[in-house]
Formats: sequence, structure tokens, C-alpha cells
Amino acid sequence: MSLLTAELLKLRTTPRSLTGFVILVVAIGGLGAAGMIGGTPAAERDLPQFDADLVGIAEAAALVSILLGITLVTREWRHGTITPTFLATPRRDRVTLAKLATAGVVGVLVAVLALVVVLAVAVPWLAVIDSPLEMNGDVRERMGLVLMTTVLWGLLGASIGSVVHSQVGATLGTILWFLLLEPLAAVTLGLLDADTVADYLPGSVLSSAGGGPDEGLSVSGGVLVALAYVAVIGTAGIVRTSRRDVT
Amino acid sequence: MIEVEGLSKRFGRTQAVADLSFRVLPGVVTGFLGPNGAGKSTTLRAILGLVRPDAGATRVLGTGYAALPRPLEQVGAVLEASDVHPGRSGRNHLRVLARTAGIPQSRVDEVLAQVELTGAARRRAKGYSLGMRQRLGIAAALLGNPEVLVLDEPANGLDPQGIRWLRNLLRSLADEGSTVLLSSHVLAEVAQVADEVVIIHHGRLIRHARVEDLAGGAAPASRVRSPDAERLERALAAAGIAVEDGSAGALLARAPAARVGEVAAAAGVVLHELTPEQASLEEVFLELTAEGTS
Repeated sequence: MSLLTAELLKLRTTPRSLTGFVILVVAIGGLGAAGMIGGTPAAERDLPQFDADLVGIAEAAALVSILLGITLVTREWRHGTITPTFLATPRRDRVTLAKLATAGVVGVLVAVLALVVVLAVAVPWLAVIDSPLEMNGDVRERMGLVLMTTVLWGLLGASIGSVVHSQVGATLGTILWFLLLEPLAAVTLGLLDADTVADYLPGSVLSSAGGGPDEGLSVSGGVLVALAYVAVIGTAGIVRTSRRDVT
Repeated sequence: MIEVEGLSKRFGRTQAVADLSFRVLPGVVTGFLGPNGAGKSTTLRAILGLVRPDAGATRVLGTGYAALPRPLEQVGAVLEASDVHPGRSGRNHLRVLARTAGIPQSRVDEVLAQVELTGAARRRAKGYSLGMRQRLGIAAALLGNPEVLVLDEPANGLDPQGIRWLRNLLRSLADEGSTVLLSSHVLAEVAQVADEVVIIHHGRLIRHARVEDLAGGAAPASRVRSPDAERLERALAAAGIAVEDGSAGALLARAPAARVGEVAAAAGVVLHELTPEQASLEEVFLELTAEGTS
């Protein structure tokens, strides 16, 4: 427990980088919500699905979640603070597990912040244009999925960071995978008539876990496979971190 | 107590440490010496569980570092001065460590005062000078009041007052029974505080001795200055004493000061200076570490 609170203290005590991540979440939530309300014709705004989809915009903050997950591991290697960290906690598996747990907590905070921002934009705006947001079961379920998504992405980020200790390498590699490599792989698999395999690629899995497009895995299936990814990559990270010489 | 037994470590094609064994006793300041690249940092990092040995073992207080129940309260370490996040204040750096190790937060301000860093404690570490970072590193090492201290080149970046302060601190800790191991590549710096020295070169043990025994092993030399240097040189040569040109117009005579004084008196040469040559310690070090190179 003290390791978890120490990890959160590490985040709190670098105010500039923390502010950067907060601004990113606020921008993603605020601009996303504004764009969606402004860009949807009035007739569609009254459809029952609209409110849930609007709240679901907050899911985009999962990007910040994975970046934070990567950062909270890799910056310790980058700045050499991993040395005092390991001197204080020579059981490195505990350090890695504490960082994974921290990434989960951070994922919750990112979701809460993103949802608050989306609601702060949506509730008054929709009230003014006389199409008030209804806090129905669909909307609440969608909020739950946003939370689930940011937590899973955060966990994945921390496990990636514990395998690839270079901050730049882990960040660029992750972005490259989701933006370029996975779509290419999916297209290739589609050409080979192996679409079901593509459903198990990480980006597709995370999207399913967040209640994304109807094709692919179910929500629960997506969550389970995503957790399996975290377990496998996280275990590799624990092994890699425990073996590495800190020079 | 620190024990190193048959420690070997290779990085790629470089054998950093080769079958190294020595013990560091409590109540003693032990200097850990060797030229740059001799394997000092690797050895210290192996002792601290940061580097996995290829062979051999290291023990602190009778056990491996990773098995220490409360490591920061048992062992304090000063490694590289730059191991701080630039965006975090020195005080917060210590708060994080205290939180991790379960050390009361009140210790943070105590050690900051002890290393005289209180004034800058709330500033971002990015703006710290090397000396300030070094003080912060020392503060981190003292946080848990440890009985074993391991310091890698701690004098780097410290001003003369800081170095003297550190020497006094290490001396008093050792006198209270602490185990102190500090590395350096400058023998003279270590000789002022250390009781014993462990000298390594190319990762191997060259010498483990008490400081006074180490100096005793060197041929004695004296710095001597005379207004009539030529006559002095002839007199010394006649007495079978080798003479070299010393620094700043002085002569370096390869004999104890007493003998040089007797020769000068017998020859009736006026002396303006006669000093036992302290650099002989440094020469011992250079001699010892030169052997491995050839």
C-alpha cells in the first residue's frame, strides 16, 4: 500500500508534466463533446442513443491513460530515479506491480475527469438548446464502459513500459502500433480471410471492451482478452525489470 | 559489515569485475580506490543489489541486499548525483523515498537541514548545481539513519567546505560504529578520512591495507629548496641520494627528510625548505595500478 501511495506521490510532485496530462484530458473531453453536439443535426440529437454516445466521447481519454501508464514506468529509467526506487524497494516485482496498480488508479481518475468535462460541456449546452441530457440506464452503462476502457489502457501502458524502458521507444512504438501497424495487420488478415484473428489484436480488443463497434468480440470477451494481454506483457515486464542491471 | 566474495561481472566484452573479494568492517572508514573504469561502481552497485553478479556474492549486514527487511534504514547509498527527476523539488524527492520506505516524513526536513539544503529544498531539482545534487544524494542516504553507508565518488561537485563537512560526518559515523565504504579515484582525497583502503584495477584486488601501512611501503622522498641548489645537488649525489627536479625550483631527494638535512648540514648548505614528500602515497597508488596495465 505504501508503494502505491508513493507512486501517486511521484505523479503529484511533478506538477508540470501532470498539468500537461490534465490539459490533454480536458481538451479531448471538451472538444469531443462540443464537436459532437455542434455537428449533430437537431433531429438526431433527440434519438435515445445520442446521450449515451455523447458520454462515450470520454473514452478517447484512454489515449492519455495509456501514455500516463507508459510514462510512470519509463520516466524512472529516463531520469535515473529507478536507482533510489530500487534501493528503497529491492524486490523489483513489487515495484512493477505497484506501478501497474497505480496505472489502474490513474485510469479511474482519467475517466472521472474526462466524464466531468464532457458533462460540464454537454449538460448546460443541451439544456439551452432544449434537448436536455437524460441520465438513463444507457448513459450510466456507457460511463461504466468509459471507466473500464481507461483502466485497461492504463494497465496496458504500464505493462508496456515495464518491458520497453525507453520512454521515447515505448511511447512511439505504442502509437505506431495502434495507428499504423495494427490497421495494416488487420487489413492483411482480412485479405487472408482471417478476420477473427484480427479481432484479437490489442486495439480491436480494447475497442470491444469499451463497447465499441458491433463486430469483433463482446464487451466481456474484450475485457477478458485485454486483461490477458496485461497479464502476459506485465509478467514479461516483471521478469525483464527484475533481471536488468541498473548501471 | 559488507562482504564481497568472488564477485565477477562482465558487460558485453568488458570484464568489469573479476573474482573480487574483500570485507569492510564496522567502525572503520574504508576507501575504495582504483582508476576510472577499474570496476568500483559495478562492485558498489552489486553490493546494493542493482547489478546481478555473474559469479560470487555480496552481503550487507550478513545478507543479500534484496533480503534486507528495511533497506533504507540499514544501508544508505550515494550513487550518481543526477538520479532526481528534474521537475520534482529536492524536498519532494526525499518525501517520495520516505513514503516508499515507511520513514516518517519529519526526517525529510531533518536531513535537508543536516546537508544545508533547506533553502533550495522547495525548488525544482532542474536548477540545482552539481554540489546541490550531491548534497541531496547524501540527504537521501542519511534519511533512514543507516548503519552502513556506501558512497560512490561523493566528493564530486562538492566545494571544499562541503568536502570537509562530509569527511567529518563519515568520521563521526564510523566512530559510532557505522560501516563506511567510499570510492574515489583520488587517493589523497580518501587518505584524509579512510582508515583502510581497498585498491582495485581491471576489476581485480590489488591491495587491501591500512592507510599508514600503504604509505610505509613507498620509498621515502623529501622536497628540499636551497639558494645554492647546485652545491646541494652535488652533496646529495655524493652521499648516494638520487635527486630529481621537483616543482617550483625545489629538488626532490629520494631519502627521508632527516638524512637530507644531515647531508646539507655536513656540506654547509643553507636550506629554505625541507618537507617529507606526501605525494609518495599517490605514487604508491600509481605504482600499484600501473602494474596491471603492463
